[in-house]
Amino acid sequence: MDKEEFISELKTIVTPYTQEPEALDHISEDTDFIKDLKINSANLVDVVLDVEEKFGIEIDNDAMARMLTVRAAIEIIEDKLAASGRE
Amino acid sequence: MAGNDLVDLKQAARDSNWQRKGYLQKICTAEEEQLILSAADPHTMLWLIWTMKEASYKVVNRLSGMRSYAPRSFVCSGLHMQGSSVRASVAFYEFSLFINAEVSTEMVHTVAVLREEELGQLQTHYLNYTPGYVSDFNQSHPGYILSKNGAGLPQVRQLPGPQILEASVSHHGRYAAIVFSAPLYAGSPQ
Repeated sequence: MDKEEFISELKTIVTPYTQEPEALDHISEDTDFIKDLKINSANLVDVVLDVEEKFGIEIDNDAMARMLTVRAAIEIIEDKLAASGRE
Repeated sequence: MAGNDLVDLKQAARDSNWQRKGYLQKICTAEEEQLILSAADPHTMLWLIWTMKEASYKVVNRLSGMRSYAPRSFVCSGLHMQGSSVRASVAFYEFSLFINAEVSTEMVHTVAVLREEELGQLQTHYLNYTPGYVSDFNQSHPGYILSKNGAGLPQVRQLPGPQILEASVSHHGRYAAIVFSAPLYAGSPQ
């Protein structure tokens, strides 16, 4: 999966939680879930759980702590997939 | 310095399904999860604990500049409820925070501070949330000017003095809350 495909999957996941739907039109690796997409911090848990379900991975506490941007989310997903031999 | 967090309980019931599989485990320690699930009103207990973590994060973030999303690492303990008021503690690595919360059927509002004596010096103002709540506050509270500093953090100037007080602001659903430490000099209002 390339970056564009990851971004597209993440866009689908965050759509129900964003309070700034217009920001989804120019979502990129630099997009911040809280600052740019105005996702409520209590709903960021849902994003983490949806990413886990979608990619069949487990996001531990340390990874979750970093998961504030699209770039960080992609890095975490790639790391976890690589660790389980499913690049 | 204080950090606050407010949850409109009806808004939270609409926006979050905390009963979904894995949700509590991502944000709570095992002890906190037990406290929520055994509470008379688990919904309110969850959002009480959540606001303790968020209010504490605001203090730590403001002190350290560090951003992270680690609600499980903010460990709540010692909850003591008296009427609508709650006292508790939160630990986050080397930080210890003191908590004061107010709980009603409509909302939970929680304040975290680093020094226990700060709890007694706090002023809390509640407002109905509108997009213009900052100017609503300034119009309905003559003598105070709420604004943001150069770093985008809220502050309150209490007139006529030159003193600028660090403030913390939170809004959710129908409500907003503004907290700041009252100056201790004689002759201050109230």
